[in-house]
Amino acid sequence: MNAETPQTPAPVMGLYDRPMWDSIRERKMRLQRGKVSGTWLYPPGPGTPGGEELEWTPISGNGTILSWVIFHRQYLPAYPAPYNVIAVRLDEGPTIISNLEGKTPEGNWIGRRVKLVYADMPDGAVLPRFTLAE
Amino acid sequence: MNGTRTDATPRLRRAAAVVGVGHTDWVGDWKRARAGEKPADSYGYAMRAFEEALRDSGLKREDIDGLIAGPTTAYERLGEVLAINPRWGDQADAVLSVVQAAMAIESGLAEVVAIVYGNDQRTAGTQYGGPQAMGGDAFLSYVYHSPWGLTSQGALYALTFQAYMHARGFTEAELGEVAVAQRGWSSMNPNAIMRQRITIEDYMASRYVCEPLHLFDYCLINDGGVALILMEAERAKKLCPHPVFVEGIGRSDLNRGATSLEPRLTEFYLSAQQQAAARSYAMAGVGPEDMDVLQVYDSFSVHVPLALEGYGYARIGEAGKFLRESRIGPGGKLPTNTSGGHLSETYMQGWAHQIECVRQLRGTCGERQVADCRHVHYTSDVAGKAVSVIYAR
Repeated sequence: MNAETPQTPAPVMGLYDRPMWDSIRERKMRLQRGKVSGTWLYPPGPGTPGGEELEWTPISGNGTILSWVIFHRQYLPAYPAPYNVIAVRLDEGPTIISNLEGKTPEGNWIGRRVKLVYADMPDGAVLPRFTLAE
Repeated sequence: MNGTRTDATPRLRRAAAVVGVGHTDWVGDWKRARAGEKPADSYGYAMRAFEEALRDSGLKREDIDGLIAGPTTAYERLGEVLAINPRWGDQADAVLSVVQAAMAIESGLAEVVAIVYGNDQRTAGTQYGGPQAMGGDAFLSYVYHSPWGLTSQGALYALTFQAYMHARGFTEAELGEVAVAQRGWSSMNPNAIMRQRITIEDYMASRYVCEPLHLFDYCLINDGGVALILMEAERAKKLCPHPVFVEGIGRSDLNRGATSLEPRLTEFYLSAQQQAAARSYAMAGVGPEDMDVLQVYDSFSVHVPLALEGYGYARIGEAGKFLRESRIGPGGKLPTNTSGGHLSETYMQGWAHQIECVRQLRGTCGERQVADCRHVHYTSDVAGKAVSVIYAR
């Protein structure tokens, strides 16, 4: 990494975010899950309604595209335009914002199945991203 | 859960009236800012707007016993600059300032409330996108997704609109009707910064900022200030030649799933808008068919079709048809954002919309005046907090 390497925008790192980002670095992304209700939490937080015990649980990495956009303007050094952002409904329930890597669909992206990959950013950061599943 | 009662606030109906409005010289300050000048800071703009509102009301400074500062100025410093020591004070955004002023007046905590906003966002270089995006302290969704390059508020609405188009069969050209209509209105508004009319062809040919949104779907970023003075209704009737009453209020918030954008992407704020609508319509005793003018918080044009469906002006799935056939521009069935709104007049974060509501009801809008205007409906849905206010003569 040299001085010109653009920095990946730092994640919000609240008390409950760190274990998730540690699991992403280990390439085994985990989210909190209620032991009783089975409810998954994203973003990580202090609890599910009712205050049950939570367990950091690996996600399947499978999901479906809910929406997508193409940025034509650059806001961040690490993201020269054009680039895409997608919203993915994980099979576990939560929605996660990310990017689609590799081949992109012709026409409408909504409803396309995707799977989780771990992207190595030029500055050494690791990001959970997605590729088309089929 | 979000309650279903619609009669929770009937006491607020016609409890307060707007008796004074003021704003800064948006057009002149836009030119000065582009020439590299800094005409004022946020407090300076707020002060100019307040002094004009005070003159417009015919009241004296000593009559003001309540003060609400907008979100961009510190309450204490604003009160110091305006030289007001009130007996009640608060800080709120545009529409909640109106609501809270009415609440304070109805409860007797204050009798004459000034609500005051100033913003030097253009000359201060305020960033609404990027890692330091404005509002990130209040809305985690504005900053949480920045590692993936999603930070601008326009991009949040671009994601919303993409899913909305898919769900409803809505088209980009139909969204273009919003920007075209509002430019039609602003061409008749001497206070508007952007006054040159545009066509659907101009819209479709304009560049994308965050696809599927075009440049014309985005609000302006400019400096300025706005102030309104609200007074207890009976006193207003005696003192003011043209009081404008707060007739109906409704609110409904979608907080669950907000950071991962669920309420935007899966229901387009619809349930919140429908509940805010029901509450405000019940309180005012009117419905969408009674409205002469609609004013929609339009940081992005996308807010308008969402509001048309959410507040019952168009059937679900028919906002596109409504925009094409019934129309919201000059001569259309539902005059909407008659000043040009955030897209074409001035980006005062909902504050200038309140003034336009008042002026249409006073009948002082000149060329763009809507004939025999009796009811004006203001709606905002910022980050899924739907607020509906109905003004009447």
